Amino acid sequence: MFALALTNGLVIGIVYALTALGVSLVVGIMNVINFAHGEFYILAGYFSYLFAHTLGMDPLAAMLIAVAGVFVLGLVVEYTLIRPTYGDDMYSLILTFILSIVLQSIYLLVFGPYPNKPPGWVKGATDIFGLFFYGNQRLAALGAGVAVIALFFAMLKLTWFGRMIRAASQDREMAELNGIDTTRLNMFGFGLGCALAAAAGVILAPVFPVTPTAGTPIALTAFVCVVLGGMGSMSGCVLGGLVLGVVENLGAAYVSTGYKHLFMFLILILVLLIRPAGLFGRREA
Amino acid sequence: MKAIAKRWWLGAAVAAFAALPWTLGVYHQHILIVSLFYVMMAASWNLLAGYTGQVSFGHAAFAGIGAYASGILAVKAGVNPWIGVAAGTLLAAVFGFLLGILCLKLGGIYLSLTTLGFSEILHIVINNEYEITRGTMGLQVPGLIAEYSKLAYFYIFLAAALVTLAVVHRLIHANIGLNFRAVQNDERAAAALGVDVVRVRVLAFTVSSALAGMAGALYGHYLLLITPQIPSLDQQFLVLSMTVIGGLGSFAGPIIGAFGLEILSEYIRAYGEYHVLAFGLVALIVARFAPRGVVGIWNGWRARRDLARAAGAAP
Amino acid sequence: MALLEGHGVSRAFGGVRALDGVDFAVEAGTIVGLIGPNGAGKTTLFNIVAGALAPSQGTVRFDGRQISGLPAYRICRRGIARTFQVTRPFGEMTCLENVAVGIINRHPALGQSEWQDRAAGFLAEVGLEAQARTAAKHLNVIQKKRLEIARALATEPRLLMLDEVLGGLNTQEIQEAVGFIRELRDRRGLTVFWIEHVMGAIMQAAEKVLVLDQGTLLMEGPPAAVVSDPRVVHAYLGD
Repeated sequence: MFALALTNGLVIGIVYALTALGVSLVVGIMNVINFAHGEFYILAGYFSYLFAHTLGMDPLAAMLIAVAGVFVLGLVVEYTLIRPTYGDDMYSLILTFILSIVLQSIYLLVFGPYPNKPPGWVKGATDIFGLFFYGNQRLAALGAGVAVIALFFAMLKLTWFGRMIRAASQDREMAELNGIDTTRLNMFGFGLGCALAAAAGVILAPVFPVTPTAGTPIALTAFVCVVLGGMGSMSGCVLGGLVLGVVENLGAAYVSTGYKHLFMFLILILVLLIRPAGLFGRREA
Repeated sequence: MKAIAKRWWLGAAVAAFAALPWTLGVYHQHILIVSLFYVMMAASWNLLAGYTGQVSFGHAAFAGIGAYASGILAVKAGVNPWIGVAAGTLLAAVFGFLLGILCLKLGGIYLSLTTLGFSEILHIVINNEYEITRGTMGLQVPGLIAEYSKLAYFYIFLAAALVTLAVVHRLIHANIGLNFRAVQNDERAAAALGVDVVRVRVLAFTVSSALAGMAGALYGHYLLLITPQIPSLDQQFLVLSMTVIGGLGSFAGPIIGAFGLEILSEYIRAYGEYHVLAFGLVALIVARFAPRGVVGIWNGWRARRDLARAAGAAP
Repeated sequence: MALLEGHGVSRAFGGVRALDGVDFAVEAGTIVGLIGPNGAGKTTLFNIVAGALAPSQGTVRFDGRQISGLPAYRICRRGIARTFQVTRPFGEMTCLENVAVGIINRHPALGQSEWQDRAAGFLAEVGLEAQARTAAKHLNVIQKKRLEIARALATEPRLLMLDEVLGGLNTQEIQEAVGFIRELRDRRGLTVFWIEHVMGAIMQAAEKVLVLDQGTLLMEGPPAAVVSDPRVVHAYLGD
C-alpha cells in the first residue's frame, strides 16, 4: 500500500509541479497571481477532449493544439486584462478571480456539469517490481510530466528568452535598465505560464477527467506549491509539488480519503507559521 | 446647514425604505431581505478591499462560519438563535483574527491565497462531517422568531444592515480610517509616518470577517436551511461583483451594487445559469474600464459637469 | 554622545555589499550632510536608520537606545522622520489628510477638528495652505517634496532625515530652501540628516559632512575641508 501511494503521489506531484511552475513563472516576472490558472488547466483538458474525441484527431496532435490554444488565450488575457493593472496587485487579483468564475460558467454551459475525459494514450498496466500493477496511462503521464519540466528548465537555462526571464525575476528594475522589453516579456511569460497549466491539464485529463469547477482545487494546490517552494523559486516549486503530491496520497491512504486536500492547507499554515519564505526561498524579498 | 439637510434626507430615505415592504407582496419582501443580506456582505468586504486594499476570497466562508456555528448550536445544543448569532459573529472574528495574524505580515497576496484555501477547506469539512452539517442536503435550523413573518425578518435585517453600515462608516471616518487609506495608498510611506501597517490590516480583516459572520448567521436563520451554498465561491463572487460594480472604496457603492445585482438576478433568474456569466462579464468590464464602479462613473460625470459650469461662468 | 550613532553598519543585497562597516554620528541640533556619488549607499543608510531595511551587521543607536532592527513605525514613534527621494504621497488622499496621518499616529486621541487645525498649520509652514483640499496626486514634483516635509514634521520628530529635497529647484529657490531648513532647525530644535546632490546647498547649510563611496565612509569633516579633500574629488570625478 505504501509503495502504491508513493507512486500515485509522484505521478500527481509531477503534474502539480508542472502547474505550479506556471504560477511561479508569472509571480516571478510580473508579481501577479493568476487566480484563473486552474481554469486554463481545465480548458486544455476540454480542448484535448474536443479535438481528439469529437473531431477524431490523433491524441498527441490534439494535446499540442490544446496547449497552443491556451497559450494564445493567455496572451490575449494578458493584453486585455492584466496589462492595465501593473503596479496595482489588488486589481489583478480581482480581475483574474472574476475571470475564473466567468470561465467556469462558460464551461458549465458548453460542456455541462459532467466529467469529460480525453482518450488515453496507452492501454494496460505494468507490474512494478512485483509489488503491484500500475496503469500504463499513469506511467506515461509521469514520463510526459518529467519531460515537459526538463524541457522548461532547459529553455530557462539555455535560451535567450530564458535568460530574460531569470533576469526579470531577480530584479525587474535592473532588467529594464539593461534594455529588456518587460512589456513583451510579461505577455509571453504570462502566455507561457498558462501553457504550462495547459500541459499539466492535457497530461492528467485522461486519468482524472475535467469538470467545470475542478480548476479551483488545482490552482489552490499550485499556489501552495509556490508558497512551499518559496515565492519565485522555480526549482523550489517543483520540489514543493512533489512533496504535496506524496503527502496528499500518503494522507489519503493512511488517514482519510475525504480530507485529502486538508493536508495541503495544513502544510500551507505550517509553512506560513514556521518558514514564510518557503523551503528554498530567499529569506528576504 | 448642508450637512444637516443631508442628514434629514438620509433619515427620510431610510424611513421610506422601512415603510416599503408594507406595500409589497411576500416575494418582493423576500428580495428586499436577501438584498439587505448582500448589503451587509458587500459593505463589510468593501471595508477590507476598498479601504485597505486587501482582497479576501474567504468572505463567503466567514458568513458560512457564522451560519453553521449558530445553526449547529441551535440544532445540537438547543441554544437560542440570538445567542447563536452572537457566537457565530464571535467565531468568525476569531478565525479572521488568526488568519490575519498569520498572513498579513507577509503581504496582501498571502491573504488572498490563504482565504481561498480556507474557503475550500471549509467546504471539505462541511461535506465530510455529514453527521453534523448534513452536507449538501442542508441543515434545518430554527428561526429567529417564534412566528415566521417576512415583515419581522425585514426589520431584523434592516437593523443589522444599518448596524453594519454604521460600523463601517464610523471606522472609515475615525482616525483609524485615515490609517486604512494611508496603508492602501502606500504602505511604506505609511510605516514611515508611524502607522503600524500589520495592526491596521489585522483590525480591518477581523472586523470585516466578524460582520460577514453576523450576516451569515442571520441569513441561515432566515432561510431555515443552511447549505454549502452560503460559504461557496459563487457567493464570494457575487459579493465581489456587487462591490466592484457598485464602486470599490466608496460608501454607497456596495449598497447600490447589492440592491442592483440582487434585484437584477431575480429578474433574469428565468434564464437559468446565464446570470452568473452575465454578472461575471459585466464585473470584468467594469473592473477593467471603470475600476471605481457606478459611483466612480457618477463622480466623474459630476466633476466634469462642475468643471464645464465653472468654465461657462467664467467671462 | 551624539543623537544618532551607527557602528559597523553593513548591508548586502545578494552578493553586493551596499554598505560595508560604516561608523557615523549625527550630533544633536546640527545639520549633517550625507554626500557621495550615485550608488554609494546613501539611501540604503537612510533606509536602515528609518527601519525600512534591517542592517546585515552593525547597530544604530538613537538617543542612546538601539533602534536597528525595529520596524519603521516604531522608529518613527521614537522621533525619527524621513522624506523619500522619489516622493511617496498618498495620492488619493488630500494634502490635509496626508499630513494628518503623521499627526494621528503621534496623538491617537485627537478629534477630527483638532487634527485638521494642526495639519493646516504644518501645510502653511511649507507653503501648501492653498492645496489643503487637493488630492496629493495632483501636486507637481516640488509641491510633493514640500508635502513630504510637512508630513514628516507632523510626526513631531527630533531627527529629520531629508533625501534630496532640492531636486528641480533653481538657484534662487535653493537659497530659499536652505534658509527654510536652517530656520526650521532653529525654531523646532531639530537635528537634520540630509542627503543632497546640490553640493552648494550642503556646503552652506551643514555643520558637518559625511562622504560615502562604494559603501564605505570615505571621510567626514566640516564642509570646507571635505570639498577640498583630494579623495572626495577623486571619488566624484574619477581618474
